[in-house]
Amino acid sequence: MTLPGLIVRNALRNRRRVMLTVSSMALSLLLLTLLEVLLKGLTDPEGSVAGAERVAVRHSVSLANMLPAKYQARLERLPGVSRCTKLLWFGGIYQDPKNFFPQFACDADALFEVLTEARIDEAQRRQFLEERTACVAGARTAARFGWRLGERIRLLGAMWPANLELTLRGIYSGTFDDAMLFFHHEYLDEMLGDLGFTGLFWVRADSAARVPELIERIDIEFRNSDAETKTETEQAFALGFVSMLGNLKLLIRSISTVIVFTLVLVTAGTMSMAVRERTREVAILKALGFRTWRVFALILGESVGLALAGGLIGCLGAWGLLRAVDLYRLSGGLFVSFELTPGILAGGLLVAGLLGVGGCLIPAYGACRSGVVAGLTRPD
Amino acid sequence: MAVPLKYNWRSLWVRWRSTAATVLSMGLVVGVFVMVLALAHGLTATYLETGDARNLIVFRKGSLAESSSQITLEEVRRTRYLDGIERDAQGEPRASAEMIILITLPRQSGGKAHVQVRGVGPQGLGLRPQMRLTQGRMFRPGMRECVVSENLARRFADCQLEARFRSGKTTWHVVGLFEADQTAYDSEIWVDVDEAREAFNRAFYSSLLVRTTGAVAAEGVVERIEVDPLMRLRAVPEPEYFREQTKTAQPIRVLGLGLAVLMSLGAAFAAMNTLYASVAARAREIGTLRVLGFRPATIYWSFMLESLMVAALGGVVGCLLALPLHGIATGTFNWATFAEVAFEFRITPGLLAGGLGFALLMGAVGGALPARRAARKPLLAALRAE
Repeated sequence: MTLPGLIVRNALRNRRRVMLTVSSMALSLLLLTLLEVLLKGLTDPEGSVAGAERVAVRHSVSLANMLPAKYQARLERLPGVSRCTKLLWFGGIYQDPKNFFPQFACDADALFEVLTEARIDEAQRRQFLEERTACVAGARTAARFGWRLGERIRLLGAMWPANLELTLRGIYSGTFDDAMLFFHHEYLDEMLGDLGFTGLFWVRADSAARVPELIERIDIEFRNSDAETKTETEQAFALGFVSMLGNLKLLIRSISTVIVFTLVLVTAGTMSMAVRERTREVAILKALGFRTWRVFALILGESVGLALAGGLIGCLGAWGLLRAVDLYRLSGGLFVSFELTPGILAGGLLVAGLLGVGGCLIPAYGACRSGVVAGLTRPD
Repeated sequence: MAVPLKYNWRSLWVRWRSTAATVLSMGLVVGVFVMVLALAHGLTATYLETGDARNLIVFRKGSLAESSSQITLEEVRRTRYLDGIERDAQGEPRASAEMIILITLPRQSGGKAHVQVRGVGPQGLGLRPQMRLTQGRMFRPGMRECVVSENLARRFADCQLEARFRSGKTTWHVVGLFEADQTAYDSEIWVDVDEAREAFNRAFYSSLLVRTTGAVAAEGVVERIEVDPLMRLRAVPEPEYFREQTKTAQPIRVLGLGLAVLMSLGAAFAAMNTLYASVAARAREIGTLRVLGFRPATIYWSFMLESLMVAALGGVVGCLLALPLHGIATGTFNWATFAEVAFEFRITPGLLAGGLGFALLMGAVGGALPARRAARKPLLAALRAE
């Protein structure tokens, strides 16, 4: 019998134990993988290629402070600016406060020239332009509420004293979340009595290479004005939100560490049980002339094999779960992208493998050192 | 007759290594369970304990939070003198028109976050008895001075006593630090309201806080504000307003429970493994017990108790591991106000009992099957086992 064959036979002799160990490992690895995916989704927002030439201009005090709408003309005159749209977070309620999705007032004519990665039917885009109360929504949000073109959407103003009656004229896709709803800034202005201000500007630069100098140029342009600006790339802007969530990273990391540590204990426990049962067998193997390293390999192989099996099941489980469950909808549109990347998958399996190695070291050491006579004569 | 507990206790000692591993792994699971719930609990408590039942917060209908509300000077004037609002010794109504501004400040640990700045009127301090200056003095209007909560001073750069921070074009001087009994105000910076309106260029107020003379008077004030056709305002008792914001803690709670369930299943499997092994190793002992006259049901409960004992030990270890977290300050983002809220991990006796109960549940799940196996072992086979 070959060494691998012996390992498999050994591992399977106590099926219940194998099953319990593997399930325990699988559950923990499932959890570990999910946490890692969560962490990545929250702290590493995806910057699309098109997003690289886009910058967000906001008030330097905070996002909640408004910028004068007249800044737009000055922005458009700056060299390096290709197109620019106002954006105002409406934060309205659609039917129920739980139905959260981002809603923005924007410049309808400039929107799709700034949001270049969005794909929309040209006829729909034109219809959106022509009608003051029209809106466009991302495919994901439209699907979430079952909207069709022509749908009447009523948004109650929670942040602004205005209720909007919108008509869906277009559905776009191709952006990183396809969740936002856009409507005409003019419509909101009309409802509120000409605001004269907006939340932020979305500016598209001529080229991604010129973005750093453009950022500087914009902030210099408005320095010492009533409303100084803070310009950031889209990615930095998104990371700003992540940083506001607090020390989530530490929390998730410490939980992951605890899980791994628990798993070391579990594997070590299982393997020492398995080895203890076989003290006499190990002695017999040695008496037959098995070298110490072979005995060691036997135990190591079993431990790593079990751990990897558990890890594989756990990772596959996480993958299946993420595919089956719509986290986006479950979290009310809060969590956008959760993807099990090959990196996370490999990391999970690596952890499982290391656990297998780490868990068997002590029992294997004991088995290798035990004397043949002592092992053979042990009563139990 | 029951099998003496001493038997189980000694058995655990004989296999002290695997017992310790099981206790520790259960302890870690319980520790995580208690930790995450302590986080959610601390956050919830922050809001639940904010507010005085006699106080009403008045803000725009349709707004979900003060920070997104706007009320006009006219509306403030109309509301202040309503019947049922307490007057002070000078005959002034006890009401404070306030303004909330969010500003971005750098954290000490790097990164930035939104912080809530509250502009308060002269009466604002008196309406909040939980608020107490701990260092320095109160701000003087017109001097670009502010007072900062101790929590924020610890977490944000340039917010310590006598420090200065810049926001927009204004530089604010921190002249005092305060504490507010672990309420939501502990996540705020306070300045004079009219100075704030000028510095941040706002025509409106955000909200109005009024002290009513009693519960009946409060109902009257709420009613009158509600029906006034000239104002689109809503008045809510202060505690109720903050209770709404406990929703912020919901995702943390869900995360905590989800984690706990998955982790505990894993740990219960591991415990089951250990106990099965221990049952197998003690086959002859079990046979002997049967011969001595112990009934299978008794043996079942004996093993179950053994599992529960291990679990209880694990629960205690877990609680002890989590306990040092009590009182540690942390912060997160409140979606309703869009600002950082600072709070502390809070471990209560109830939470510890919950952790212990959770451990016992794990022990019961992990012990049931092995104990059944022990009880059902055929007598002769058990005695003959090597």
